Amino acid sequence: MEALRDRLRKSHLARVFLVLFPFALIPLFDKNAYHMDLLATVGIYAILAMGLNVVVGFAGLLNLGYAAFFALGAYAYALLNIHTGCPFWLGLPAAGLVSMAFGLLIGMPSIRVRGDYLAITTLGFGEIVRIAFNNLDAWTGGPNGLLGIDRPTFFGYKFSINATPYVYLTLALVALVAWVLFRLSDSKIGRALVAIREDELAAGCMGVPALRVKLTAFGLSSFIAGMAGAVFASKQTIVSPDSFDFVLSVLILAMVVLGGLGNIWGAALGALVLGILPELLRGFASYRMLLFGVIMILMMIFRPQGILGGQLIRRELGKRKKHAEEEGVDADS
Amino acid sequence: MELFLQQLLNGLTIGMVYALIALGYTMVYGVIQLINFAHGEVFMVGAYLTLSAILAFSGFPFWAALPAAFAVSALGSALLGAAIERTAYKPLRGSPKLTALITSIGVSFFLQNAVMLIYGSKEQSVPDIVPPVRFDVGTFSLSLVQIVIFAVATGLMIFLTWFVKNTKTGKAMRAVAENAEAAELMGISPNRVIRQTFVLGSTLAAVGGGLFAIYYGSINFHDGYLAGIKAFTAAVFGGIGSIPGAMLGGILLGVFESLGAGYVSSEWKDVFAFVLLAAVLIFKPSGLLGENLPDKV
Amino acid sequence: MTHRAAAFLAITALVCVPAAADETVSIGLVAPLTGDQAYIGIGCQQGALMAIEDANVKGPVFGNAKLKLVPLDDQHNPTQAVLAANKLAADPAVAAVVGHFNSSCTKAASAIYHEARLAQVSPASTNPDISKQGFDTFFRVCPTDDVQAPAAASYVAKLGLKRIVILDDQTTYGKGLADQFEKSFKAGGGEVIRREGVTQGEKDFTPLLTKIKSTKPELVFFGGIYPEMALLLRQAKKVGLETEWMAGDGIFDPSLPKLAGPAGEGVYATMLGVDPRSLPDAKDFVARYEARYGEIGSFAAYAYDSANVLIDAIRRAGKNDREAILAEMKKTKDFPGILGPVNFDARGDAVGKSVGIFQVRDGKFQFIEEFKPASSAAPAAAAA
Repeated sequence: MEALRDRLRKSHLARVFLVLFPFALIPLFDKNAYHMDLLATVGIYAILAMGLNVVVGFAGLLNLGYAAFFALGAYAYALLNIHTGCPFWLGLPAAGLVSMAFGLLIGMPSIRVRGDYLAITTLGFGEIVRIAFNNLDAWTGGPNGLLGIDRPTFFGYKFSINATPYVYLTLALVALVAWVLFRLSDSKIGRALVAIREDELAAGCMGVPALRVKLTAFGLSSFIAGMAGAVFASKQTIVSPDSFDFVLSVLILAMVVLGGLGNIWGAALGALVLGILPELLRGFASYRMLLFGVIMILMMIFRPQGILGGQLIRRELGKRKKHAEEEGVDADS
Repeated sequence: MELFLQQLLNGLTIGMVYALIALGYTMVYGVIQLINFAHGEVFMVGAYLTLSAILAFSGFPFWAALPAAFAVSALGSALLGAAIERTAYKPLRGSPKLTALITSIGVSFFLQNAVMLIYGSKEQSVPDIVPPVRFDVGTFSLSLVQIVIFAVATGLMIFLTWFVKNTKTGKAMRAVAENAEAAELMGISPNRVIRQTFVLGSTLAAVGGGLFAIYYGSINFHDGYLAGIKAFTAAVFGGIGSIPGAMLGGILLGVFESLGAGYVSSEWKDVFAFVLLAAVLIFKPSGLLGENLPDKV
Repeated sequence: MTHRAAAFLAITALVCVPAAADETVSIGLVAPLTGDQAYIGIGCQQGALMAIEDANVKGPVFGNAKLKLVPLDDQHNPTQAVLAANKLAADPAVAAVVGHFNSSCTKAASAIYHEARLAQVSPASTNPDISKQGFDTFFRVCPTDDVQAPAAASYVAKLGLKRIVILDDQTTYGKGLADQFEKSFKAGGGEVIRREGVTQGEKDFTPLLTKIKSTKPELVFFGGIYPEMALLLRQAKKVGLETEWMAGDGIFDPSLPKLAGPAGEGVYATMLGVDPRSLPDAKDFVARYEARYGEIGSFAAYAYDSANVLIDAIRRAGKNDREAILAEMKKTKDFPGILGPVNFDARGDAVGKSVGIFQVRDGKFQFIEEFKPASSAAPAAAAA
């Protein structure tokens, strides 16, 4: 019994299941279509936030153009579906791969430049993708975008405008991504990422192949965004450049920071809070975005480490402290 | 040839405005390594304040009203910049840079919407305060407004260069940008210097906003966003932290955009800025005039 | 015994009183209420609100029902549009929707309203594709681009102008209109020297205009809205580009002559029907609107008509039942809107709406001619 409990405690799968299971129960009690739609949308944001967290939180690289990878995935699935009838479950990984390809392409030159320059390069990439989708109408439908995208079919059950199946779809993906990221954070690559984030030079001295690791982070993060894009496209059945602007990139970044940089659940929590907040503020009409800005400022001033705190490094330091106390040694030495 | 000169001139005009905004970004980054997203909004507020001031001084001749309007707008924006620094950034001085960045984005949202609520969301028309005099040489034309922009912007840039080089405050700014701790040991108050940097940067942006307003004749609360991104790009590609870099970056960006839109395609205009940036960073990763500072171990 | 009976009656009365209280019938209004197009969206909101208030003043629309407006913001973002649509669809008090404004948002949301059987009337989305989706819940009171553009093209041909440049603002509306215009103009034998795009929100068009100047066009057609149009006109004057200018309903706003100043004189624009200010019903609406909110924009009147058509359908249906209201909407015939009689065809498009040609003279848009969609060659008589 002890062994089982111990194994469960250490099992990422169990933890992921326990945290997300309550959300799966919500649709059984709440039949409101608007709530379901909101939950599904928040689910997509959560996937995006966790994906961005890999690059910004784990690796410490500032990506200001994340919406572009989201867009690439969405359009990839849309185009595949419209031109070749590609079904959703095939389109999902395909979209991830397309985004990942672009992620690696952009990552390769960008990672060499200094951290803050990466910010502007990624911002530029984000804008370029959006403008390209808007201008290349022969391929992308231009400002009208693409319509008539198929919804997923799950063992004969065809998704419809009802958002509830999408809630389960996004929940499943959130679980999958969370599980992968937890395993990643425990792995060699995960530790390498943290090392690079804290002190790239020192990490290099210890034999960490910085460039390769950073590129892996970029690739993974864009793959995740691509998948989120496919889900989004299949839910809206329409994709247009309007949905993928800089404001979205900033919003996802805010979700990651709000939840706590590097904290996997934090990113999802940030998505929940910042996804629901504008809807709650609807009552304030024209003051909505103003209040949103104020809330962002206040949240950062009063809780700069984010709601759940930047977990990775704290866990490490916490362990070190405990170990030091046990040994009777000064923790800081 | 005349067409090329005209496009060049068009580009130089807007380039000067970009340069003024870029200076604010680069100076703030220099002292506290923050990308101040709200800076574009300060520029926009400057434009609106200039408009209000012009309307208030409408009885007076333009060579008196215009400088007065700029002065009012500069003062207002300087106060705004100081206020932002004090309330939103100072409390986060010790936190990770990313936190301050998110805050600056929040400030940006706040300012945009505040201006929208105060002035309304419609385009605001700016009265043609500068007489529409044009100097034509064949098909090449230069307007009085453009001359005003060149004169004011160049004057400010010369002033700033002198200021940073020769005055005590300017030297203190450079010291803090180089090494804040050492500067403090030398008796400089980093807090005061940072505040002064914000004030100076905001003043420049405000004047840029005023010039922008009289050049285009209509302003809108969304103008800060696009101009801000471009100016930031210019600052980076000139070498972030470098004052001459920001000036050069701004001007070159304006020219490049203008030539790109004129000779290639105007729907891809915004893309040119980033393409230029990518090109420069590949060959010179620290920007045109940026210093390749090795990381001290 | 009497005490208990009295108490029982009292309690029953108290319970029944809420049941006899007013029922609220909501009409949704979705448009960009914040952000850079807020002035348009808020104008629509105010127009719709006036319609609802006017109706409530006349008495309950049925039984003891009071009308209420539920305004929601979509920030011209299709994702938000879908969220707003879902919110309205899930609210049982919502009987119908006026919305959205931007074609991209209207299109995205129309699927939701169709599934929810909510009648949707758009005051301003002109993209022809929206009504081709086969949704019986979609209606609109504005002409589509494939009506507006041919009218514009034939007027240009009438002016004898053959070599033109076409610009658009790269949005669903602007590009759609420009595309339709190009098609009609070329079909009439005209020559399009250049076709270029500009970005909405961009300020500096001098490089583009300098480039166009060298091609010496007789007219420039712009698919877009008035902020960019005003800038184009001013800067054209600055670089010395002398040519005629024409655009669609997107520039038909009193702000255009104001923002463009003297550079705006002589600019042509197409717009729905005759000048609303010349119609007696519209004049009254405009006066009341301006007394309350200040200067009126182009779309408040459309929103007013949209809301009124819906209110009338609700009245005829006699209950807050979406299918019943929808059935009544389909039966709409010659509804007296302030912009002219409202009729819908099988797809929900506005029928019989003529297009008016206007020109800026003395700082104001003046009506010049009317084009009826059926005959593109024969304009109705008008002042010249």
